Amino acid sequence: MNQDENELIFRCQKGDQDALKEIYDRYHDKVYRIAYGVVRHREESLDIVQEVFIKLFRSIGNFKGKSKFYTYLYRMAMNTAIDHSRKMYRVFSSSLDEEGAPQPSEMAEKGPDRILLHKELEEKVKAALDELPPDQKMAILFREVEGLSYREMAESMGCSIGTVMSRLHYGRKKIQELLRKYVKEEGRE
Amino acid sequence: MRRIPLVLPLGLILVLLFASTAPTQMNVRLRVIQASNIGRAVDPSLRDLHGQMGSLFNFTSYRLFRQDDLSLYPGLPTSIQVRPGRYIEVTLVQEYREGAEVRIRVILEGKDILNAMVRLSPGRTVLIGGPRHAGWVTIFALSPARY
Amino acid sequence: MKDSCSSVSRLLEKYFDQEATSKERALVEAHLAGCPACQDALKWMGHCRDSLKVPIETALQKEDFERSWQNIRREIQIREKSSWRESIQSWLELSGLFRKKVWVPAVAVAAILVLLTTQVFFEEASFVALPDVEYVDSSYNVMVYPIERGKITVIWLFEGQEMEAPPS
Repeated sequence: MNQDENELIFRCQKGDQDALKEIYDRYHDKVYRIAYGVVRHREESLDIVQEVFIKLFRSIGNFKGKSKFYTYLYRMAMNTAIDHSRKMYRVFSSSLDEEGAPQPSEMAEKGPDRILLHKELEEKVKAALDELPPDQKMAILFREVEGLSYREMAESMGCSIGTVMSRLHYGRKKIQELLRKYVKEEGRE
Repeated sequence: MRRIPLVLPLGLILVLLFASTAPTQMNVRLRVIQASNIGRAVDPSLRDLHGQMGSLFNFTSYRLFRQDDLSLYPGLPTSIQVRPGRYIEVTLVQEYREGAEVRIRVILEGKDILNAMVRLSPGRTVLIGGPRHAGWVTIFALSPARY
Repeated sequence: MKDSCSSVSRLLEKYFDQEATSKERALVEAHLAGCPACQDALKWMGHCRDSLKVPIETALQKEDFERSWQNIRREIQIREKSSWRESIQSWLELSGLFRKKVWVPAVAVAAILVLLTTQVFFEEASFVALPDVEYVDSSYNVMVYPIERGKITVIWLFEGQEMEAPPS
């Protein structure tokens, strides 16, 4: 654990809000990625980010340094996002004007068909992710979105590396099955 | 208003009580020394220890590999990598007027090869050495720092 | 090829995640060179990852995190104010009881003073008296040498029967 992060944690434990701000600056995007990965909604993701850092400030006194700080934070972020997604009910619209739609410059060479395919694929992946049990969803998001190593994932999820690999494997298998089925049905491969 | 006089002295005493026992940070100096029997060179910065190490150990050469002045915070481990796969981790457990309790772990290839609880007090040094590796030995010297 | 596919498929995810050892990497790459099915499987893993990541990164770019921080700060301050108010209120209600038994707060103050003095005294006495090493746990053989002359304590790890550094 690096020195200046320890100092920030210590100050935060003492109630220093400037220290919390520094921690927020370092980690808000990571927490957002996890939140958005689970709920796929901008406003709710921001709500989750806010909730996580408020919770962190209240509970950081319980952090004993037994795990790395970011795994502690990631676990908190993931649990908060999953709890949030259980409470909220949302209706997705598949309009191309929605957030997350590909930018025109990125899809310059693709016509409307390909843009629709891209957007629909993303929604299919999201729907597949929603069907996964929480531990597989967590593994997929930690790996695919945050790029954590197997060891870091094991620490964040409180399990062995073997279990991490197993959850990843089954999560990916499920998502790929749904994706392949979709592409086959639509005859777009 | 009559209630307030009761609150104030009690509150003041409680503040004093907690202020005197509240954990704070501690500064320590960690030196990582490589000792061997190849050559007779002794790093000048190790003079304060050399006299003692010379009588303690059979090595002819002592090289200061790295020196770190660490700020330790209660319960928060600080790790220093010596070489890939080898770390020393130091954690302040409890600070006292006369020193502090510190947990030291030496980790090699993901496994603890040492887990110790030591007391550091001003003017005293804890040396942790061994085992041999490719003809030399790593010695960790840990002492409270005043800086 | 089929047998080879089934043995490599277990390693394909590790390879994709850059967690494979160099030996495993070499095995997978050699297999991939001649196996379209496994190349396709790898490609699909990439599609899934991109489909997950791209919308997140796009959304991230659009957010105003400074405003979000202001909300966090405000919320913390509101909660801190209300918890201070609650604790003072409950204290004031409680101290109404003390008025009836005036000796209760006096005893409490005296007890705290005694505790404070005892703790400080005990702490000093106990710390100085104890040795520098409280415990040692190691997978190696260990010797602990306290050297009073140099105010040094040595913890030495060694293998086998022979000591590496005899004490002075």
